[in-house]
This record gives sequence, C-alpha cells and structure tokens, in this order.
Amino acid sequence: MKPALSLAGYRLIVCLGAGGVGKTTIAAALALGEALNGRAVDVMTVDPAPRLLDALGLDTDSTEPRHVELNGVGHRPGARLRVLKLDPKATFDSLVERYAPSAAARDAILQNRIYRNLSQALTGVSDYMAMEKLLELHADRGTDLIVLDTPPARHAIDFLDAPRRILELLNSRAAVLLGASSGFLGQSLKLVDLAARAVLKAFDRLTGLGLLADVQGFVRGFEGMYQGFAERAERAQSLLRDPQCLILIVTSSEAERLSETRAFIDSLRAIGLKAGALIVNRTLPEMPSLAEIAKLKIAPGLKRKLRRNWNDFAALKSREAESLSALRAMIPHRAALAVVPDLGREPARLVDLAAIARRLSGVESEDAGELGI
Amino acid sequence: MALPRLIFITGKGGTGKSTVAAAMAHALARSHPVLVADLDQRTSAARLLGTNLNGRGTARIGKRLEVRALSPRAELESFIERIVPLKMVSRRMLRSRTFGYVTAALPGLEAFLMLDRLRILAGEAARDDGYLVIDGPATGTALELLSVAAGLGRLAPSGLLHRLALELEKFLGDPDSFGVVITLSPEEAALREALETAAALDERMGIRRVGAILNGVAGRLFSRAEAELAGKLGEHGQLMARRIELGALAERARRRLSGAGLSVIELPMLFRTSLGRREIFELSQALEAALARQ
Repeated sequence: MKPALSLAGYRLIVCLGAGGVGKTTIAAALALGEALNGRAVDVMTVDPAPRLLDALGLDTDSTEPRHVELNGVGHRPGARLRVLKLDPKATFDSLVERYAPSAAARDAILQNRIYRNLSQALTGVSDYMAMEKLLELHADRGTDLIVLDTPPARHAIDFLDAPRRILELLNSRAAVLLGASSGFLGQSLKLVDLAARAVLKAFDRLTGLGLLADVQGFVRGFEGMYQGFAERAERAQSLLRDPQCLILIVTSSEAERLSETRAFIDSLRAIGLKAGALIVNRTLPEMPSLAEIAKLKIAPGLKRKLRRNWNDFAALKSREAESLSALRAMIPHRAALAVVPDLGREPARLVDLAAIARRLSGVESEDAGELGI
Repeated sequence: MALPRLIFITGKGGTGKSTVAAAMAHALARSHPVLVADLDQRTSAARLLGTNLNGRGTARIGKRLEVRALSPRAELESFIERIVPLKMVSRRMLRSRTFGYVTAALPGLEAFLMLDRLRILAGEAARDDGYLVIDGPATGTALELLSVAAGLGRLAPSGLLHRLALELEKFLGDPDSFGVVITLSPEEAALREALETAAALDERMGIRRVGAILNGVAGRLFSRAEAELAGKLGEHGQLMARRIELGALAERARRRLSGAGLSVIELPMLFRTSLGRREIFELSQALEAALARQ
C-alpha cells in the first residue's frame, strides 16, 4: 500500500505549472477531495474551462465564491466547496479603492492611461492580484483550506515572487527616477539613473508617446498607498513560508516538460521556497500482459491488431517511464511525487473529479509520510 | 499556394509547437533558406534539430538551415546602444537593476522592439526567397505580443512610434509576409483554445493568414465491428478503446476546425520510444507532402 498524500494539515495549497498540464483540473480535484473529507474549501482558478465548470455543476464562472453541490459523491459532514475566478483588474481596482489616501488620489490612478490600458502588462500585476485575493480569502476563518490555481507562469514563479517584486519596484530608485516626489527611501539619483531618465525622455520624444508622464503619475499615485501595499505584500510572503502551506508543481510526462519542471524547482529554491510535491498528471495506464491476447477467443486478424496496438502504447509507455525517472531524480529532498493516471476522458462530472482526487491519494515516495503535518 | 515569409507558430502548452517548428523548418529547407528562431530562449526547436544553442547565439544546421535565439533583452540592449552613443554609460545602464524596472514599467517596449526585429528578419527572408519559422510562445503570451503594435499605436496618436506601429500592423496583416500556425492536440481544451485564438487573431488583430496543425492524429486501426467488441476484451479492450477514442477526438477536431474555416494540416501520432531527429525528419516529410497538396 502506497502512503497517502495527506493534505489534512494544510491550510493553503498553491498549484504551479506550465500551461496545458491540467493544473486547474488538479487544483479542483484536490479541493474536492479535501472538501469530501469534511473540510470547508475554497478553490481559486484563473481560467476554468467550460467543461470543468460543467463538472463542478456551475453554469458560469464568477469572481464571487460559488458553492458546488456535493450531493452524490459521498461527502462527510462539514464538507463545503466554493469556486471563484480571479479577475486581476477588478481586484486591483478594489485594492486602489481601499488604500488610496483620498478620492482624488484614487481617481488619479483609476483614470491613468497606463493603468487603464496596460495595467495588466505591468510586471507582476496580475500575479500580485492573485496573491491579494488569496489574502482576502485567507482572512476568512470559516475556511479550512484554500487551493490556489496560479496563472500559467511565463517565468516559472512570477506569481510567488510578485509581492516582493512589487515592493521592490515601489521601494527602488526606479520610483525616484520615475518621479515619486522624494522617493520612499529618499534616495538620490545616480549617474546611471540620470542616463536612464534621459533615455526614457528621448524615447518619449522620439516616439510621441508622452507615456513617461503617465508612468510617473502611476508611480506617484501609489505613493500614498505604499504602506498598505507593503503590509499586504509582507503578509503574503509569510503566508507562503508557513509550514501549513504546500507548494506543488503540476506537470506531465512529456519530455519537453522536464526542463520546465527543473526550472520551477530551481527558481523556487532561489527565492527560498520549496516544492513540497510534484504531481505528474495524465500518465498512461499500466500495460496489460501481452500474453493475454493469445488467450482471447477472437479472429486472428483482431489479435494481430491488438498486438500492434499494445506495441504502440508500450512505446509511449517506455517514453513516459524515462521522463518519470528523470523527474524522480530532480525532486527536492522529502518532496512527494504523485502520479495521476489519465482518466481516458476529459472530466465532465463531479464523480470524474472525485476519481482524480482518489488517484492523487496514491503517492510514490519513501518520505511521503512527511507531507502530512 | 505560397507560404508567408514569416510563419509564427503558437499553441497551447504541450501541443508540440517546437516539434512543428523543427519539422516545418526541415521541410522548407529542402528548397529554401530557412531561419528558425524562438523568442524566449527555450531553443527547444534547435535541440530537436540536433544542436544545442543553450538559449543564445546562432548555429548553422544544414546548407540552408539556421537556428537563432532571439531575446527581448538583446533587442532592448541594441535599442539602448543606438540611442545612448556613449558605450560606457549605456553598459552601466543596462547592468543597473533600476533600469530593468523602468523598462518593465514602460509597457510593451520589449515586445514592440521584438516584433520590429521579426519584421526586419522577414524582409531579409523575402529578399533571399527564404522563410523565417518562429517557435513562438503559448497562445496567451503570443496574443499579447502580437497586439502590442496596435496597443502602442493607439497610445501614441502621432510620431515615430505611431508610424512604426502602423507599419507593423501592415506587416502582420499582409498574408504574403506574416502568418500564424496554431498547433493543437485533439483534446477538447486544446481545440477550444485554438479556435478562440484563431478568432482573436482574425477579428481583433487583423491577421489574415491563420492555419492550424493538428498534432498526434492516431491512424485508424480497428474497424467499427471490431470496436464493438472492446467491452469484452478486458484490459486489451480498454487499450483498444483508448486508441479508438484518440481517433474520434481527432475526427471531431478536424470537423470543428474546418467548420471554423481554418485550413488544417494533420500530423500523425508517433508511437515511438523517443522523439528525436529521426522522428522530426519523418514529420517534416508528412508536412511537406501536406503543404504540396494544399
């Protein structure tokens, strides 16, 4: 009997992974599994596929938490599952409303050209907003567990690092450079900064953008909100380092995912975080014995085809086995590796998600017991 | 039908963008000079073609085939060096962390410079009767990148940037110069993303040349009568059902893609223990044959 991936002690699970590995499905399945154990669970997704919403019995996504009907999947008392979708822009707006020192400052930001057109493109804003929403959910004491599905990361861990980077931006000489009155730290401009400012000005003049003024206005607008932001960012930071937080990486067994997964693990380490588990999604089923075919009472032609089919899948299975052993070699000390065999169909009902959750509870790792806290 | 000079390959994660880029480059390089490049230093297409760029530089693979790693950072550096003639100052600036944040705060600058580089490279390819194959980022990032021209064009109502943005838009909308190939696997999620991306490229960005490559199409193995026996054949029946499901998914994807008016090329599922140069070569032959038929 393989030890179980015990999630009972965790209050926060963060799912990281590249696009296309089934991260949202895994997040939903994990959340459902824990809810069925009698916990009150919230799962925050980024872009739920229509089928996943179907499977959860929801007709549309919503930025407000929506209750999932748990009848028919055998849940324990106390079970609660809510799903909500992250809307970075709306979260940002409400954050600005909350921390702006005055109505004038609030409007200056909300009407800023940069903010209106391009706030999503600013480094880390949407990642930061996911973090912000997380803090909001976490403050709700009625919730036992939050499962967080993260935006597909362009640079591995943008999301987890977002609070620190936002703080650094607001705190850095860049802010001074961009025209925050005296700078949050009261720093003076160096030669390099002056040159950078000159370049930006030249760029602005050359391009006819007049963008610099907007960027400056944007940064200046945030001055008054710095304290609020800094506190939130700090809390988000410590939340991720709490022993009750599990960071897991969802991946698949395709060879091209190996280097991505390694990059995730390394960049987590670089910011002092650790992947607690690696989930390999949608692996091929165990291969049946080839000798079985001879015993079947069917036409020889069909037997030949079954043998060919077996050979075809065996080739894929061997490709997969190679990837799995490479993945095993790279997991951090004491982290668990869980393999989730493919359902053979896309999850379309709650029972499918429950089946994935059960598959998740079979974990192959000697130290997996360490996961339960 | 002639292909556009620049073929920009995008698709959902795991749908084989790099594999298709490598196979496409191989197929085209049989008769034309080809440059394969990626924009985010993964250089996995280069790796599939048998050379390790390690995220930087250029390498020649065959008589007509070259791979290159493009990076937004390098484009930014060459822009800064152009604009700050004093090398000492420009170097120090590029090293400074502050500057990184500033450029990050000037949204779209890196992406814009990158797109302009693609426009220049496509022009060079046209001059040599060659092709430029871009192993692009996943669809979301690709859409952001390609919409930068229009976005900045709107922000700057006049001036140099506005003119450049117009030129870029013209380039992206010219079916002889620029085309997007969306890769997808037959699964529902990949299909949906491909259809949404195709619609966004056409309607929002005015990109007129959009095609799809359906990857991993499993050939038909079992007849309908045989398929009905699957339930009685135990585990081998399950494996059989899996094969049949793969075929059915491909069939559905094929129907919906052509229903949306997309031209589709299919590439076979390769049941192989590894995906290396031999497999890329095989796919390039399938691709070449399909292109000749179109």
